[in-house]
Amino acid sequence: MLQFAIRRLAMLIPVFLAVSLVIFMIIHLVPGDPLEHLIQVGSSPEQRARMIARYGLDQPLLVQYGRWLAKLVTGDLGDAIVMRQPVARLIAENMPHSLALGGAALIFSTTVGIVTGVLAASFRDSLFDRAVMGFILLGSTLPSFWLALLMILMFAVQFEWFPVSGARSWDALVLPALTIGIGGTALIARVTRAAMIEIAGRDFVRVLQAKGLPFWRIQLRHVLQQAMLPVMTILGLRIGWILGGAVTVEYVFARPGLGSLLITALGQRDYPLVQGCLLMLAIAVMLGTLLGDLAQAALDPRLREAMGAR
Amino acid sequence: MKTMMTRSLLAMGFASLGLAGLGLAGLAATTAQAQEATFVMTARLVGAPTYNPTKATKLNTATTLIFDRLVVQDADQSFHGQLASSWEASPDGMQWTFKLKPGVKFHNGEPFNARTIEWWVPQFKGTENAFTVEAIERVEVVDDLTVRFHMKRPDPNLLFNLATSFMCIPEPKSYTALGDSFGVTDAIGTGPYKMQQFSVGQQTVLVRNDDYAWASDLSANRGPAKFKKLTFREIAEESTAYLELKTGGADMLVNVPTDFLPRIQADKAVKLVTLPGNELVYMPINTSVEPFTDVKLREATAFAVNQKEILTSLYGGNGAAADTFLIASLKESQVEPKYKISYDPERSRKLFDAAGWKAGPDGIRVKDGKRLEVKLWTQNGTEFKRLVEIVQAQLKAVGMQADISIIDAGSINAQYRKKTEHQLAIRAYQWTNADIVDWFFAAKRAGYPNVSMFNDPEAERLNDIAMNKSKSWDERVANFTRYHEYVLSQYAFAPIYQPAQSLAYGKRIVLPQEIRGTGLYGPTMLDIAPAN
Repeated sequence: MLQFAIRRLAMLIPVFLAVSLVIFMIIHLVPGDPLEHLIQVGSSPEQRARMIARYGLDQPLLVQYGRWLAKLVTGDLGDAIVMRQPVARLIAENMPHSLALGGAALIFSTTVGIVTGVLAASFRDSLFDRAVMGFILLGSTLPSFWLALLMILMFAVQFEWFPVSGARSWDALVLPALTIGIGGTALIARVTRAAMIEIAGRDFVRVLQAKGLPFWRIQLRHVLQQAMLPVMTILGLRIGWILGGAVTVEYVFARPGLGSLLITALGQRDYPLVQGCLLMLAIAVMLGTLLGDLAQAALDPRLREAMGAR
Repeated sequence: MKTMMTRSLLAMGFASLGLAGLGLAGLAATTAQAQEATFVMTARLVGAPTYNPTKATKLNTATTLIFDRLVVQDADQSFHGQLASSWEASPDGMQWTFKLKPGVKFHNGEPFNARTIEWWVPQFKGTENAFTVEAIERVEVVDDLTVRFHMKRPDPNLLFNLATSFMCIPEPKSYTALGDSFGVTDAIGTGPYKMQQFSVGQQTVLVRNDDYAWASDLSANRGPAKFKKLTFREIAEESTAYLELKTGGADMLVNVPTDFLPRIQADKAVKLVTLPGNELVYMPINTSVEPFTDVKLREATAFAVNQKEILTSLYGGNGAAADTFLIASLKESQVEPKYKISYDPERSRKLFDAAGWKAGPDGIRVKDGKRLEVKLWTQNGTEFKRLVEIVQAQLKAVGMQADISIIDAGSINAQYRKKTEHQLAIRAYQWTNADIVDWFFAAKRAGYPNVSMFNDPEAERLNDIAMNKSKSWDERVANFTRYHEYVLSQYAFAPIYQPAQSLAYGKRIVLPQEIRGTGLYGPTMLDIAPAN
C-alpha cells in the first residue's frame, strides 16, 4: 500500500509542473495588468514604465515563469502586487474559511447523497425513487449563483433563519454550504444508487438472502460497503470541485475564502496572487484525486495488485 | 473497515444535523446592537488593499475615520481646517504657512505637531501619490505648532491635494516600524476611530477613539463619535448588499448601486439620501480614427446623445444630465453656453449632411459607398450594458450604426491602449478636480487614459498653462476653464450623466440634517447617531 501511495505521489510531480505552467501563462495572456490598479490620477507614462520594470513585467514570459517557479520550489509564493502582502499569508488567512465551507458542503452532500442513494436503490422504481432523484437532479442543474440568491431570499429574507451573508457566526455557514452541497448530492446519490443496484444483483447477495438475513442488514452491511468504491473516487474528485465551486458562492454570500480572494485578484490582475490561488485549487484537486485513489485502493486489494503494489 | 465506515457515516450525519442546529441557534442573533453599527460598502468601494494613505491608490470610507487630514473640503469646494487651525499663502504662492491645532494625539499616544509634517511630506517620494507634494521644495518647522511649505513653484491645487484621503496623516513611529504592514496589520492615525481589525476585501472593524476632540467645523459634534464600534463590510454582489440592509444585517449602504435605487425608493423601511455627485459618465470619441478625424462628425455624434432621456429612463431622474466634462460643483464646469453639449438632433443631422454622409435606404448614412458603422465599447456591468444600448438606439436615430462590444473591466484599459480598435466608448470617472481634463485629454496619455486619443497643439498649450503656470486658485480656475472650453469645442467626447451619490439607511441610525463634505466622510460620520 505504501509503495502504491509513493508511486501515485510521484506521478503528481510532472502534473504539478504542467499545471503551474498553464496557470502562469493563462493569467499573463489575458489582457490587462495589475498596474491599472496602482496608477494614480496624475501619474505619468514614465511612472508606469518604471513600475513595469519594478515588478519585472518587462521580462519575457518564460523568464518571469522561471523566476516564479524558482521561488515556488523554496515555498515562496511571492508578494501580491496590488495587495502588497505575501501571497502565502493571504492564502493562509483565507484557506480556513474555504476549508470550513468545503468541509460542510462535502459532509452535507455525502451524507444526504449516500442516504438518498441507498433509499432510492432500496425502493427502486418506486414513486419515492423517482421523486427524490428528480428533485436532486433539479437542484444540481441550477446555476450556483442563482441557487445562492434563492437560498438567501427564502431562508434569510423570508424566514429570517440565517444571516444573509458574511462569516461572523457559524450559522452563516449553513446557506453557502447547502448551495454548494446540493450540486454534489445528486452525483453521489446517483452513483450510490447505481452501484447498490448493480451489487444487489450479485450472487453473494442472493446467498445472504437465502440465509434469511434481514433486507436492511444486507443493504447496509454488505451491499453498501461494496458500493462505496465508486463513491470514494467521486468524493476525491469532489474535494477540488467544491473548492472551485466555492468561488461564486463565496462572492454572493460575501464570505472570506480562497474563492473571494481569487475573484478580487482576477479583477485586479494581481498575477502572483491569482497564480497562488489557482495553484492551491489545483493542488486540492490533485490531492483529492489522490485521496480518492488511496481510499479505493485501501478498500479493494485488486486495485493495488493491478498497480503492481503489495 | 465496516465499523470505520459506519462511524464516518454517523459522524457526517451528526455534523450535517449540527449545521442546521447552528442555524437555528442564530435565529435570535442580531448583527448590530446599540452603540454599534454596520456599514456596507458596495462594488465600487470593495477591494482597497491597505489603509496606508501615502502608498495606496484605492482607499475607502473608513480611511477618514482612522486618520485626519490637515484640511477637509466641503461640497461647495470650500476648505476647512481639520488638523490645521488656519493657513496662509504668500502673495507669490511660494510659501504656505499652516498653524496646527494643539493637544492632538495619535491613537498610540504620540503627539501630533509640526515635526510630524516635516517627517510626513518626504514619505511620498517614490510612491504613486508623489504628485500630491511634488511642488513642495522643503518643509520648515517654525515652531511646535507652525509649519511652512517652501514651494518649487506655485501650486494653487495644494489645498485640494491636502484634503484628499491620500493625504491622511499616519503616525511616524508605527509607520516606520511596520513598513509595508502599516495600513494592513495596523493603522495609527489621529482620527475618531481606531482600527481594530482589517481583512482585505471583507471587513474593517473600528473602535471609538474616546480622546477625540479636534473635529473640523464640518461636524456638529466636535467630541468623540457617537458609536463605540463600527464595522465596514465589503459586499461586491449588489443584491446581497441590498438584502443585508433590508433584513437589518446592515445599518447603511454607503453607496447605493444605481440598479437598486427604484427598489430602495419603494422600500418604506429604508431611507434614501442623495448628495451631489462626484462622478461623470461620458462617451469618448477616438479622434485618431475615421470617420472621427473629422471634427464635424464628432460634433454631429456628440449632439446625437439625448442626456435627458437617459437620465429619465435609466436613472429615474436621480442625478443630472451632463453637458460638460466636469461635475457641476466645480467652477471650471461653468463654461460659456456655446461650449455646452446637449442633445440637438437637428444640429446633428445637418452636420452629418454637411460632412457628406447622406441617409441610405435603411436609414444608415453612407458616404462614397461606405456605411456609417462604428465600434462602440463599454465594460461589463448591468448599468453600462443598459446605457450602451440606449446610446446605440440614439445614434441609430441620426443614421449611425454602432456595434457594441462589452469588454471585461479588467481588460478594457489594455484594449484602449491598442489605440485604434475602438471608435466610441461609454465610460465613467470619479474625481472632484478640474485636472481630470488633463488626465483624459493630454496627448502624452493617448490610448489610456486618453481614450479619445486627443492630440491637439492648442489643447497642449492650454493644458500646460492650466497645470503648471497658474499662481493662485482663481487663476487656476480661469486657466482650466479655458482649457476645458477648448476640449469641448473639439468634441473629443459627449457628456452623458452625472450620478448622484446615494446612501440608504435603516431605522437604527439617525443621520444629521445636512451631510457636509464632498461625500460621506469622517466629518459626517462623527454626527451619525444611534436611534434611541
